[in-house]
Amino acid sequence: MKPSGNSIATALGRQLKYFAGGLAALCAISLLGPTALIALGSEIDFAKARESWAFKPPKTVPAPVVTDPKWPRSEIDRFVLAALEAKSLKPVGDADRHALLRRVYFDLNGMPPKPDEVLAFVNDRSPEAFEEVVDRLLVSPQFGERWARHWFDVARYAESTGKERNFTYPNAWRYRDYVIDAFNEDKPYDEFIREQIAGDLLPARNGAQRNEHLIATGFLAIGPKGLNERKREQFVMDIVDEQIDVTSRAVLGLTVSCARCHDHKFDPIPTRDYYAIAGIFRSSETFYGTQGQQNRQPSTLLTLLTGSAAATDENFAAAVLSPARALNKLSPRPNQQRPGAAKKQQRRQAAPALVAASSGPASDAVTEHAMGVLDGRASDCPIFIRGEIDHRGEIVPRGFLTVLTTSQPPKIDPSQSGRLELANWLMSRDNPLPARVMANRVWQHLFGQGLVRTPDNFGAMGEKPSHPELLDYLASRFMDDHWSVKALIRSIVLSRVYQLSSADDKKNYAADPDNVLLWRTRPRRLDAESIRDAVLAASGQLDLTPPHGSVVAQVGDGYIGKGIKPRAFNADTNKRSVYLPIVRDLVPDILGLFDFAEPSLVVASRDVTTVPSQALFMMNSPFVSIQSEQMAKHLLELKDLDSAHRISLAYLRILSRPPNESEQTRAEDYLQQRAKGWPVTEGPTMVGTEAAWATLCQALFACAEFRYLR
Amino acid sequence: MKDLRGPYECCNIQPPTMTRRDMLKTVAAGFGYLAFAGLSSEAAAHQSSLTPKSPHFPPRAKRMIFLCMQGGPSQMDTFDHKPKLSADSGKAGLSKGGGSALIGSPFHFDQHGQSGLSISELFPNVARHADDLCVIRSMQTDIPNHPQAFVQLHTGSSQFTRPSVGAWTLYGLGTENQNLPGFITISPPMALGGAQNYGSAFLPAVYQGTRIGEQKANLAGASVSNIQNPRLTAEMQRHQLDLVRSMNRDLVNENSANPEVEGIIESYELAFRMQSEVPNVMDFSRESAATLTMYGIGESATADFGRQCLMARRFAEAGVRYIEVCHAGWDQHNNLKKAIGANCRATDRPIAALLSDLKQRGLLHDTLVIWGGEFGRTPDSRKEDGRDHNAKGYTMWMAGGGVKAGLAYGQTDDYGYQAVEDKVHIHDLHATLLSLLGLDHERLTYRYAGRDFRLSDVHGNVIRNILA
Repeated sequence: MKPSGNSIATALGRQLKYFAGGLAALCAISLLGPTALIALGSEIDFAKARESWAFKPPKTVPAPVVTDPKWPRSEIDRFVLAALEAKSLKPVGDADRHALLRRVYFDLNGMPPKPDEVLAFVNDRSPEAFEEVVDRLLVSPQFGERWARHWFDVARYAESTGKERNFTYPNAWRYRDYVIDAFNEDKPYDEFIREQIAGDLLPARNGAQRNEHLIATGFLAIGPKGLNERKREQFVMDIVDEQIDVTSRAVLGLTVSCARCHDHKFDPIPTRDYYAIAGIFRSSETFYGTQGQQNRQPSTLLTLLTGSAAATDENFAAAVLSPARALNKLSPRPNQQRPGAAKKQQRRQAAPALVAASSGPASDAVTEHAMGVLDGRASDCPIFIRGEIDHRGEIVPRGFLTVLTTSQPPKIDPSQSGRLELANWLMSRDNPLPARVMANRVWQHLFGQGLVRTPDNFGAMGEKPSHPELLDYLASRFMDDHWSVKALIRSIVLSRVYQLSSADDKKNYAADPDNVLLWRTRPRRLDAESIRDAVLAASGQLDLTPPHGSVVAQVGDGYIGKGIKPRAFNADTNKRSVYLPIVRDLVPDILGLFDFAEPSLVVASRDVTTVPSQALFMMNSPFVSIQSEQMAKHLLELKDLDSAHRISLAYLRILSRPPNESEQTRAEDYLQQRAKGWPVTEGPTMVGTEAAWATLCQALFACAEFRYLR
Repeated sequence: MKDLRGPYECCNIQPPTMTRRDMLKTVAAGFGYLAFAGLSSEAAAHQSSLTPKSPHFPPRAKRMIFLCMQGGPSQMDTFDHKPKLSADSGKAGLSKGGGSALIGSPFHFDQHGQSGLSISELFPNVARHADDLCVIRSMQTDIPNHPQAFVQLHTGSSQFTRPSVGAWTLYGLGTENQNLPGFITISPPMALGGAQNYGSAFLPAVYQGTRIGEQKANLAGASVSNIQNPRLTAEMQRHQLDLVRSMNRDLVNENSANPEVEGIIESYELAFRMQSEVPNVMDFSRESAATLTMYGIGESATADFGRQCLMARRFAEAGVRYIEVCHAGWDQHNNLKKAIGANCRATDRPIAALLSDLKQRGLLHDTLVIWGGEFGRTPDSRKEDGRDHNAKGYTMWMAGGGVKAGLAYGQTDDYGYQAVEDKVHIHDLHATLLSLLGLDHERLTYRYAGRDFRLSDVHGNVIRNILA
């Protein structure tokens, strides 16, 4: 990197000043002058940098010996217990069976157990009872819906462009379904990542798999986009940047895009490396659709194989064995510089991307489209000094992160983008990060906090792991188990540490108030999706059939707020929350209120806030009111039950446990003394008794216990 | 008990036959405590995230009202008098591409007040407050397109998703009245970034703005979401909340170190108060007829914006930290004379009323009022009666809240193409707003994805010369 001129030095200096520790750097710069400053960047000592824990390969260490050999149920437990024993602490007791069952249901399927499942488990004292529950939950279709949603947080999944002109993505849902299916099928995680980065370049057995691979690349296409950008080059580099950001943070837990304008301030990532990867993405073309007026940067979509072309292997074979070559011929020319003339723009809109083998039989179904990525015109990218497209520096050969490349990196075919090589390099066993990052995410979703508490930053500004050897153990085992996410989850939830109670302990608390050493289970608030799904499950209204498509697909293409009214997305649906329309800047109320992940950002862990607007939602929203009424109606329809049994059933459905005696009495008092004979108000279906029961159910939804896993 | 299955429960495990007593016995060992103690320090911190916080230094303003003029109001027809432009009207313009002509303002300017600020005839009522205004004539932003500029005005960046100014303010200062949202935006546009303009991005969701109404919809019927329950009477709901409270108290009693449950209990009490307080603040029935007239409520031209301004005053008075109101339609590529006239008629009286009203209630000195849009307009055009987008030089003004009154700061060139003296970039404006509120824009940071972010990114200088 050899930009010149004082202005650059000043700009870099200003940036440096901004960061912690920047003052010292600033002094150094002013002493050394601009030339020296540039040298600073190229002076990253990669050998030294590789000594950071995160850049070393995971070590396989045997689980430590513990003083109390009776406590551990698995190797995981021995790592945890050894750390506790080192501080002379003891874990609290095991969780009671109601708490444990509710915990594992929400963690694995995002839904509460049914009342009969609660009772069956509580009464089943066989040693295998819990394992059987876990295995049942792992094969339930609800598992994929639950765990896909975790991935969507980091994949910034959404169905519109967001930003200054918000256009719909009516085909984003195909990527949604792909991810759900991948988790349900337990697709090996390395394959899952490879498909999302370079699915279009992978060989496929048949048309269906070809489609699946194309849809997977939607990962790179669903990001936010500033469609009002006039300069094509700027627009392209912003997309490239967004793709680098999501890929590096999701897969590697590193913030590579910090190096767009300057060498990374804290991590060994030079600007050179950034533009080496940028060259790969810039040699690809992103297809995201968006049609309509007032759109300066429309795009086309990928065309999927349909009908018999997708079904039969034979028709397909020849074209896909060397997919890259076939594609380069068939795909439209990549976008050049800015598409000056309107004519050209029209052409881009008109020509669909012909990715399907053209020899396929005439389509016997409606054409189907997907968002995704194909190789474009392959070329290396110049360094854009300070990230500014008007300041071109040296051209950098396409490549990968230097710090993570110790053995011979895959060679990039100059006629291709290099995405396939990037995907292979990312998920190679030599790469120390992806397995650790994913194992840590899984741990975080099961314990409320990762072993590394900064799940998308394993760099210098991130935190070090609380249990480094355990993390390495999980990462190695994850890779040994063919990157099976289900096997990883299973091994963790069957550990004893997962099954601890959330009881307090004075001594432990004094020594470790933040529970870093895992002496108990951290009480966790349900996420927004679980809250909604649990309300619907309790009311009996939850519709578990997955939808075909999405509300956004029904609404179609357009500019939200201009052509499309925001109201159009107010879906009256009782399907699971993962299927609600996720329109950027128009997230459904219930999700937004309970700290849903901002879909324009890569979100590795959500906030947990407690605010009155959540209380207002529980007290007053039509959603909670209606579901409470539905539930009351259903309870009252069970003619054989007396009110005591109805109260029990309400507790079981909402809190996954029966009430104790005083709770039972309190509820009966409420029904008889307080609420009896309440007048019929504006709610058209409510009568006195029903109103009383409805408000009781609503109170159970509103209470703190409903919202928490203990 | 015969059947415990709900309609969605399709599995065929038969529930064992149990009496209530059996059931209680089974669970007695398991239930009976809930330990929420020792929630991480972060969770505990979120608890109090909206309570008032000390600023970095003594603030000049305690709250802010942003009068957002969406579309890019023309400065040379309102607050930036250009005599040379009038003199050279009709001569060739300087805009790229050629073919444009300079257009002198069709409106008359006069000097007003002791300060002698020059204001056009379009704002006769605001002009009476000339000595309260601090007019910045040298504003600059990055991109002369509405969507990007509108988002940058609100978040500092159109390139990346960032928290809005109001969210940063709330994050920095908390809010004074816990019974009301701390950041309210009235009638915002749903396009042009939509909720991003009052969103919290990577800041916790508690800091996002609460929307009342939306652009083009009638404000009269709008309110905060879920603020009332039409199904229950107040009495019924109080009984219900007592039940919820008692359930939550149980949890706390099982284990006293239970900040999160305490937080939930508190949130219900706040919500209950909020649902009476919000409609109260939004209820104009106890405002005098004179006040309503002053704001122009009741006259069709001024009713909507008058309502917004009066609501803003009532929220400010009640302790809301950050309030934004919005008037759209300042994009006069054509039909300048007529359309800008209509915009000014719709806003002049309400704005003047707001300033007077705040003043007479002793609120103006610590309430910062800001007027302006995402950019301004060019002095020339290829059309006879229009002006185009201008990001290089435009006008915003402030009043109250510790700014110098009766001041014109910065200058554009003789025609008004661009700022030439004391330029104020949008980052500088943001840095200055925070400073007026007692916050140092370089210290107000939030760590996300491994680095500390600021509203002003790596830019921004506080405009010291406008501070009183």
